[in-house]
Amino acid sequence: MNGRARRVRVWDLPTRIFHWTLAVLVVFSFTTGKIGGDWMAWHLRSGYAVLTLVLFRIAWGFAGSETARFARFLRGPRAAFSHAREVLAGRHAIAAGHTPLGGWMIVAMLAAAAFQASTGLFSDDEIATQGPLAVKVSNAMVSRMSSLHAIGQWVMVTLAVLHVAAIAFYRWRLGVRLVGPMVTGWSAFPLAQEPPRMRPAWIALVLMCACALGVWWLVEIYPMR
Amino acid sequence: MKLMPRLAFAIAALALAATALPAAAQQLKPEDQIHLRQSTMALVGYNFGILAAMAQEKRPFEKAEAERAAEILPKLAALPGRFFGEGTEKGGNTKAKPEIWKNMDDFRKKLEAMQQQVAMLPQAAGDLASLKKQVSETGKACKSCHDDYRAK
Repeated sequence: MNGRARRVRVWDLPTRIFHWTLAVLVVFSFTTGKIGGDWMAWHLRSGYAVLTLVLFRIAWGFAGSETARFARFLRGPRAAFSHAREVLAGRHAIAAGHTPLGGWMIVAMLAAAAFQASTGLFSDDEIATQGPLAVKVSNAMVSRMSSLHAIGQWVMVTLAVLHVAAIAFYRWRLGVRLVGPMVTGWSAFPLAQEPPRMRPAWIALVLMCACALGVWWLVEIYPMR
Repeated sequence: MKLMPRLAFAIAALALAATALPAAAQQLKPEDQIHLRQSTMALVGYNFGILAAMAQEKRPFEKAEAERAAEILPKLAALPGRFFGEGTEKGGNTKAKPEIWKNMDDFRKKLEAMQQQVAMLPQAAGDLASLKKQVSETGKACKSCHDDYRAK
Protein backbone atom coordinates (compact mmCIF):
# COMPACT_ATOMS: atom_id res chain seq x y z
CA MET A 1 0.00 0.00 0.00
CA ASN A 2 1.71 3.08 -1.25
CA GLY A 3 0.73 6.68 -0.95
CA ARG A 4 -0.88 8.45 1.92
CA ALA A 5 -4.03 6.93 3.26
CA ARG A 6 -6.61 7.62 5.93
CA ARG A 7 -9.29 5.52 7.50
CA VAL A 8 -12.62 5.90 5.82
CA ARG A 9 -15.97 4.17 6.12
CA VAL A 10 -16.24 1.92 3.08
CA TRP A 11 -19.06 -0.48 4.03
CA ASP A 12 -22.27 0.85 5.51
CA LEU A 13 -24.04 -0.99 8.32
CA PRO A 14 -26.85 -2.47 6.17
CA THR A 15 -24.35 -3.97 3.71
CA ARG A 16 -22.37 -5.50 6.57
CA ILE A 17 -25.44 -6.92 8.28
CA PHE A 18 -26.59 -8.27 4.90
CA HIS A 19 -23.21 -9.87 4.28
CA TRP A 20 -22.80 -11.67 7.60
CA THR A 21 -26.41 -12.76 7.83
CA LEU A 22 -26.25 -14.23 4.34
CA ALA A 23 -22.96 -15.98 5.14
CA VAL A 24 -24.51 -17.61 8.23
CA LEU A 25 -27.71 -18.53 6.38
CA VAL A 26 -25.88 -20.13 3.45
CA VAL A 27 -24.02 -22.43 5.85
CA PHE A 28 -27.20 -23.02 7.86
CA SER A 29 -29.26 -23.82 4.76
CA PHE A 30 -26.67 -26.24 3.45
CA THR A 31 -26.39 -28.02 6.81
CA THR A 32 -30.12 -28.29 7.52
CA GLY A 33 -30.72 -29.50 3.96
CA LYS A 34 -28.17 -32.26 4.49
CA ILE A 35 -29.56 -33.31 7.89
CA GLY A 36 -33.13 -33.15 6.65
CA GLY A 37 -36.02 -34.49 8.71
CA ASP A 38 -37.18 -32.15 11.45
CA TRP A 39 -34.62 -29.55 10.37
CA MET A 40 -36.38 -29.05 7.04
CA ALA A 41 -38.81 -26.60 8.65
CA TRP A 42 -35.77 -24.44 9.46
CA HIS A 43 -34.30 -25.05 6.01
CA LEU A 44 -37.43 -23.47 4.51
CA ARG A 45 -37.39 -20.52 6.91
CA SER A 46 -33.73 -19.99 6.15
CA GLY A 47 -34.56 -19.96 2.44
CA TYR A 48 -37.23 -17.28 2.95
CA ALA A 49 -34.69 -15.18 4.84
CA VAL A 50 -32.14 -15.64 2.03
CA LEU A 51 -34.72 -14.55 -0.52
CA THR A 52 -35.51 -11.46 1.58
CA LEU A 53 -31.81 -10.62 1.88
CA VAL A 54 -31.13 -11.02 -1.83
CA LEU A 55 -34.11 -8.83 -2.75
CA PHE A 56 -32.92 -6.23 -0.29
CA ARG A 57 -29.38 -6.35 -1.67
CA ILE A 58 -30.64 -5.84 -5.22
CA ALA A 59 -32.63 -2.80 -4.07
CA TRP A 60 -29.63 -1.55 -2.07
CA GLY A 61 -27.56 -1.96 -5.23
CA PHE A 62 -29.62 0.84 -6.74
CA ALA A 63 -30.61 2.93 -3.74
CA GLY A 64 -27.80 2.24 -1.30
CA SER A 65 -24.44 3.76 -0.40
CA GLU A 66 -21.93 4.34 -3.15
CA THR A 67 -19.87 1.21 -2.49
CA ALA A 68 -23.00 -0.95 -2.52
CA ARG A 69 -24.22 0.27 -5.92
CA PHE A 70 -24.05 -1.97 -8.98
CA ALA A 71 -23.45 1.04 -11.23
CA ARG A 72 -20.29 1.74 -9.29
CA PHE A 73 -18.72 -1.69 -8.93
CA LEU A 74 -19.88 -3.50 -12.09
CA ARG A 75 -17.13 -3.09 -14.65
CA GLY A 76 -16.62 -4.59 -18.08
CA PRO A 77 -14.75 -7.87 -18.68
CA ARG A 78 -11.64 -5.97 -19.75
CA ALA A 79 -11.41 -4.21 -16.39
CA ALA A 80 -11.99 -7.51 -14.62
CA PHE A 81 -9.25 -9.27 -16.61
CA SER A 82 -6.69 -6.53 -16.17
CA HIS A 83 -7.49 -6.46 -12.46
CA ALA A 84 -7.03 -10.24 -12.30
CA ARG A 85 -3.60 -9.88 -13.96
CA GLU A 86 -2.61 -7.19 -11.46
CA VAL A 87 -3.68 -9.30 -8.51
CA LEU A 88 -1.93 -12.43 -9.77
CA ALA A 89 1.22 -10.37 -10.26
CA GLY A 90 0.97 -9.45 -6.59
CA ARG A 91 -0.07 -5.85 -7.04
CA HIS A 92 -3.09 -4.29 -5.51
CA ALA A 93 -4.18 -0.69 -5.70
CA ILE A 94 -6.30 0.28 -2.74
CA ALA A 95 -9.77 1.37 -3.64
CA ALA A 96 -12.94 1.66 -1.62
CA GLY A 97 -15.51 -1.03 -2.33
CA HIS A 98 -15.50 -4.01 -4.62
CA THR A 99 -12.74 -4.61 -7.14
CA PRO A 100 -13.77 -5.23 -10.78
CA LEU A 101 -13.35 -8.98 -10.18
CA GLY A 102 -14.99 -8.91 -6.75
CA GLY A 103 -17.98 -7.07 -8.21
CA TRP A 104 -18.72 -9.93 -10.55
CA MET A 105 -18.34 -12.37 -7.68
CA ILE A 106 -21.04 -10.44 -5.81
CA VAL A 107 -23.37 -10.77 -8.78
CA ALA A 108 -22.56 -14.48 -9.14
CA MET A 109 -23.20 -15.19 -5.45
CA LEU A 110 -26.38 -13.12 -5.37
CA ALA A 111 -27.61 -14.98 -8.45
CA ALA A 112 -26.74 -18.37 -6.92
CA ALA A 113 -28.47 -17.50 -3.64
CA ALA A 114 -31.52 -16.21 -5.50
CA PHE A 115 -31.53 -19.37 -7.63
CA GLN A 116 -31.41 -21.64 -4.57
CA ALA A 117 -34.05 -19.68 -2.68
CA SER A 118 -36.45 -19.54 -5.62
CA THR A 119 -36.05 -23.13 -6.90
CA GLY A 120 -36.57 -24.22 -3.30
CA LEU A 121 -40.00 -22.59 -3.28
CA PHE A 122 -41.12 -25.08 -5.95
CA SER A 123 -39.23 -28.15 -4.66
CA ASP A 124 -40.50 -31.31 -3.06
CA ASP A 125 -38.24 -33.84 -1.33
CA GLU A 126 -40.95 -36.47 -1.76
CA ILE A 127 -40.69 -37.43 1.90
CA ALA A 128 -42.39 -34.83 4.05
CA THR A 129 -41.26 -31.41 2.85
CA GLN A 130 -42.63 -29.25 0.11
CA GLY A 131 -41.81 -25.72 -0.93
CA PRO A 132 -44.78 -23.37 -0.53
CA LEU A 133 -45.25 -22.82 -4.27
CA ALA A 134 -45.01 -26.48 -5.32
CA VAL A 135 -48.82 -26.70 -5.16
CA LYS A 136 -49.05 -23.93 -7.76
CA VAL A 137 -47.19 -25.65 -10.61
CA SER A 138 -47.23 -28.97 -12.47
CA ASN A 139 -45.48 -32.03 -11.07
CA ALA A 140 -43.07 -31.99 -14.01
CA MET A 141 -42.09 -28.48 -12.97
CA VAL A 142 -41.73 -29.53 -9.32
CA SER A 143 -39.48 -32.39 -10.38
CA ARG A 144 -37.33 -30.10 -12.52
CA MET A 145 -37.10 -27.45 -9.79
CA SER A 146 -36.14 -30.08 -7.20
CA SER A 147 -33.32 -31.32 -9.44
CA LEU A 148 -32.08 -27.79 -10.08
CA HIS A 149 -32.25 -27.07 -6.34
CA ALA A 150 -30.16 -30.17 -5.65
CA ILE A 151 -27.55 -29.23 -8.30
CA GLY A 152 -27.55 -25.53 -7.40
CA GLN A 153 -26.34 -26.18 -3.86
CA TRP A 154 -22.96 -27.19 -5.26
CA VAL A 155 -22.74 -24.02 -7.35
CA MET A 156 -23.39 -22.03 -4.18
CA VAL A 157 -20.80 -24.04 -2.24
CA THR A 158 -18.21 -23.61 -5.02
CA LEU A 159 -18.72 -19.85 -5.12
CA ALA A 160 -18.51 -19.59 -1.33
CA VAL A 161 -15.25 -21.56 -1.31
CA LEU A 162 -13.82 -19.36 -4.10
CA HIS A 163 -14.91 -16.28 -2.14
CA VAL A 164 -13.10 -17.43 1.01
CA ALA A 165 -10.06 -18.52 -1.04
CA ALA A 166 -9.86 -15.06 -2.65
CA ILE A 167 -9.97 -13.42 0.79
CA ALA A 168 -7.15 -15.71 1.94
CA PHE A 169 -5.17 -14.88 -1.21
CA TYR A 170 -5.55 -11.16 -0.57
CA ARG A 171 -4.50 -11.62 3.05
CA TRP A 172 -1.47 -13.86 2.57
CA ARG A 173 -0.21 -12.86 -0.88
CA LEU A 174 -1.13 -9.20 -1.12
CA GLY A 175 -1.17 -8.34 2.56
CA VAL A 176 -4.67 -6.87 2.27
CA ARG A 177 -7.09 -7.55 5.07
CA LEU A 178 -10.65 -7.73 3.80
CA VAL A 179 -12.45 -9.30 6.76
CA GLY A 180 -11.82 -6.48 9.21
CA PRO A 181 -13.42 -3.75 7.06
CA MET A 182 -16.44 -5.99 6.46
CA VAL A 183 -16.82 -6.21 10.26
CA THR A 184 -16.10 -2.60 11.25
CA GLY A 185 -16.89 -0.82 8.00
CA TRP A 186 -13.59 1.10 8.10
CA SER A 187 -10.68 0.74 5.72
CA ALA A 188 -7.56 2.54 4.57
CA PHE A 189 -8.30 4.90 1.73
CA PRO A 190 -6.15 7.14 -0.50
CA LEU A 191 -6.08 10.69 0.77
CA ALA A 192 -6.44 12.12 -2.70
CA GLN A 193 -9.73 10.40 -3.46
CA GLU A 194 -13.17 11.50 -2.44
CA PRO A 195 -14.51 9.06 0.20
CA PRO A 196 -17.61 7.07 -0.81
CA ARG A 197 -20.93 8.63 0.02
CA MET A 198 -23.05 6.69 2.54
CA ARG A 199 -26.82 6.53 2.71
CA PRO A 200 -28.67 6.55 6.01
CA ALA A 201 -29.46 3.13 7.46
CA TRP A 202 -33.16 3.86 7.93
CA ILE A 203 -33.64 3.69 4.15
CA ALA A 204 -32.21 0.17 4.28
CA LEU A 205 -34.55 -0.71 7.13
CA VAL A 206 -37.56 0.41 5.12
CA LEU A 207 -36.38 -1.54 2.06
CA MET A 208 -35.69 -4.63 4.17
CA CYS A 209 -39.18 -4.50 5.70
CA ALA A 210 -40.72 -4.15 2.25
CA CYS A 211 -38.75 -7.18 0.98
CA ALA A 212 -39.70 -9.24 4.05
CA LEU A 213 -43.36 -8.32 3.57
CA GLY A 214 -43.21 -9.35 -0.09
CA VAL A 215 -41.61 -12.71 0.72
CA TRP A 216 -44.08 -13.31 3.54
CA TRP A 217 -46.96 -12.72 1.12
CA LEU A 218 -45.34 -15.05 -1.44
CA VAL A 219 -44.84 -17.98 0.93
CA GLU A 220 -47.75 -17.59 3.37
CA ILE A 221 -50.63 -15.82 1.65
CA TYR A 222 -50.31 -16.49 -2.08
CA PRO A 223 -50.14 -20.33 -1.78
CA MET A 224 -53.51 -20.32 0.03
CA ARG A 225 -55.27 -18.34 -2.66
CA MET B 1 -33.44 -93.97 -17.09
CA LYS B 2 -31.49 -90.90 -16.23
CA LEU B 3 -33.96 -88.43 -17.70
CA MET B 4 -36.49 -88.48 -14.88
CA PRO B 5 -34.11 -87.52 -12.03
CA ARG B 6 -32.64 -84.81 -14.21
CA LEU B 7 -36.05 -83.43 -15.02
CA ALA B 8 -37.03 -83.56 -11.37
CA PHE B 9 -33.84 -81.73 -10.48
CA ALA B 10 -34.49 -79.06 -13.09
CA ILE B 11 -38.04 -78.54 -11.86
CA ALA B 12 -36.85 -78.37 -8.27
CA ALA B 13 -34.18 -75.85 -9.22
CA LEU B 14 -36.69 -73.70 -11.04
CA ALA B 15 -39.09 -73.85 -8.13
CA LEU B 16 -36.29 -72.81 -5.77
CA ALA B 17 -35.33 -69.91 -8.02
CA ALA B 18 -38.94 -68.86 -8.15
CA THR B 19 -39.23 -68.70 -4.39
CA ALA B 20 -35.90 -66.91 -4.03
CA LEU B 21 -37.19 -63.88 -5.91
CA PRO B 22 -40.58 -62.32 -5.38
CA ALA B 23 -42.97 -64.03 -7.74
CA ALA B 24 -44.29 -60.71 -8.97
CA ALA B 25 -40.90 -59.60 -10.22
CA GLN B 26 -40.50 -62.79 -12.25
CA GLN B 27 -43.65 -62.55 -14.25
CA LEU B 28 -43.68 -58.86 -14.94
CA LYS B 29 -42.07 -56.97 -17.74
CA PRO B 30 -39.52 -54.39 -16.53
CA GLU B 31 -41.90 -51.70 -17.74
CA ASP B 32 -44.67 -53.04 -15.51
CA GLN B 33 -42.34 -53.35 -12.54
CA ILE B 34 -41.30 -49.72 -12.85
CA HIS B 35 -44.94 -48.71 -13.15
CA LEU B 36 -45.88 -50.74 -10.09
CA ARG B 37 -43.06 -49.55 -7.85
CA GLN B 38 -43.87 -45.95 -8.73
CA SER B 39 -47.58 -46.49 -8.18
CA THR B 40 -47.12 -48.18 -4.84
CA MET B 41 -44.59 -45.53 -3.80
CA ALA B 42 -47.15 -42.89 -4.74
CA LEU B 43 -49.64 -44.52 -2.36
CA VAL B 44 -47.01 -44.69 0.36
CA GLY B 45 -46.27 -41.03 -0.28
CA TYR B 46 -49.94 -40.08 -0.23
CA ASN B 47 -50.63 -41.72 3.12
CA PHE B 48 -47.35 -40.75 4.74
CA GLY B 49 -47.94 -37.22 3.46
CA ILE B 50 -51.16 -37.05 5.47
CA LEU B 51 -49.32 -38.09 8.64
CA ALA B 52 -46.43 -35.71 7.91
CA ALA B 53 -48.82 -32.80 7.38
CA MET B 54 -50.44 -33.54 10.74
CA ALA B 55 -47.04 -33.93 12.42
CA GLN B 56 -45.94 -30.57 11.01
CA GLU B 57 -49.27 -29.05 12.03
CA LYS B 58 -50.06 -28.11 8.46
CA ARG B 59 -53.39 -29.81 8.87
CA PRO B 60 -55.35 -30.52 12.05
CA PHE B 61 -54.71 -33.80 13.82
CA GLU B 62 -57.66 -36.13 13.27
CA LYS B 63 -57.28 -39.39 15.10
CA ALA B 64 -59.48 -41.45 12.76
CA GLU B 65 -57.72 -40.26 9.60
CA ALA B 66 -54.29 -40.63 11.21
CA GLU B 67 -55.07 -44.19 12.21
CA ARG B 68 -56.47 -45.04 8.78
CA ALA B 69 -53.30 -43.79 7.06
CA ALA B 70 -50.99 -45.36 9.65
CA GLU B 71 -52.67 -48.75 9.47
CA ILE B 72 -52.58 -49.07 5.70
CA LEU B 73 -48.97 -47.89 5.43
CA PRO B 74 -47.19 -51.09 6.57
CA LYS B 75 -49.03 -53.07 3.89
CA LEU B 76 -48.27 -50.49 1.22
CA ALA B 77 -44.63 -50.15 2.27
CA ALA B 78 -44.14 -53.88 1.72
CA LEU B 79 -44.95 -53.54 -1.98
CA PRO B 80 -42.41 -51.37 -3.84
CA GLY B 81 -39.51 -53.68 -2.90
CA ARG B 82 -41.03 -56.44 -5.05
CA PHE B 83 -40.52 -54.49 -8.25
CA PHE B 84 -36.77 -53.91 -8.42
CA GLY B 85 -36.01 -56.98 -10.56
CA GLU B 86 -33.16 -57.33 -13.04
CA GLY B 87 -33.49 -55.12 -16.10
CA THR B 88 -35.54 -52.46 -14.34
CA GLU B 89 -32.70 -50.04 -13.70
CA LYS B 90 -33.60 -48.16 -16.88
CA GLY B 91 -36.85 -47.27 -18.52
CA GLY B 92 -39.74 -44.92 -18.17
CA ASN B 93 -38.95 -41.97 -15.96
CA THR B 94 -37.42 -44.03 -13.21
CA LYS B 95 -35.38 -42.17 -10.63
CA ALA B 96 -33.98 -45.40 -9.24
CA LYS B 97 -30.19 -45.23 -9.38
CA PRO B 98 -28.20 -48.11 -10.95
CA GLU B 99 -26.39 -48.32 -7.59
CA ILE B 100 -29.40 -50.25 -6.27
CA TRP B 101 -28.50 -53.29 -8.36
CA LYS B 102 -24.82 -52.97 -7.47
CA ASN B 103 -25.60 -52.86 -3.72
CA MET B 104 -28.75 -54.93 -3.57
CA ASP B 105 -28.02 -56.16 -0.03
CA ASP B 106 -27.61 -52.65 1.31
CA PHE B 107 -30.66 -51.49 -0.60
CA ARG B 108 -32.74 -54.32 0.91
CA LYS B 109 -31.41 -53.47 4.37
CA LYS B 110 -32.52 -49.86 3.99
CA LEU B 111 -35.88 -50.95 2.64
CA GLU B 112 -36.33 -53.17 5.70
CA ALA B 113 -35.26 -50.37 8.03
CA MET B 114 -37.98 -48.23 6.46
CA GLN B 115 -40.55 -51.00 6.86
CA GLN B 116 -39.63 -51.39 10.52
CA GLN B 117 -40.25 -47.70 11.14
CA VAL B 118 -43.47 -47.76 9.16
CA ALA B 119 -44.62 -50.77 11.20
CA MET B 120 -44.49 -48.58 14.31
CA LEU B 121 -46.75 -45.91 12.83
CA PRO B 122 -50.10 -47.53 13.71
CA GLN B 123 -49.38 -47.62 17.44
CA ALA B 124 -48.10 -44.02 17.28
CA ALA B 125 -51.06 -42.58 15.41
CA GLY B 126 -53.31 -42.32 18.46
CA ASP B 127 -51.90 -39.03 19.71
CA LEU B 128 -50.08 -36.17 18.05
CA ALA B 129 -46.97 -36.23 20.26
CA SER B 130 -46.09 -39.84 19.50
CA LEU B 131 -47.11 -39.42 15.86
CA LYS B 132 -44.65 -36.52 15.50
CA LYS B 133 -41.86 -38.67 16.89
CA GLN B 134 -42.58 -41.66 14.69
CA VAL B 135 -43.09 -39.58 11.52
CA SER B 136 -39.69 -38.03 12.19
CA GLU B 137 -38.02 -41.43 12.62
CA THR B 138 -39.73 -42.81 9.53
CA GLY B 139 -38.71 -39.75 7.50
CA LYS B 140 -35.08 -40.44 8.40
CA ALA B 141 -35.38 -43.98 7.07
CA CYS B 142 -36.91 -42.64 3.82
CA LYS B 143 -34.10 -40.12 3.47
CA SER B 144 -31.24 -42.53 4.11
CA CYS B 145 -32.40 -44.67 1.19
CA HIS B 146 -33.36 -41.80 -1.10
CA ASP B 147 -29.98 -40.10 -0.55
CA ASP B 148 -28.12 -43.13 -1.87
CA TYR B 149 -30.49 -44.74 -4.32
CA ARG B 150 -32.84 -42.15 -5.74
CA ALA B 151 -31.76 -39.65 -8.39
CA LYS B 152 -32.46 -36.06 -7.57
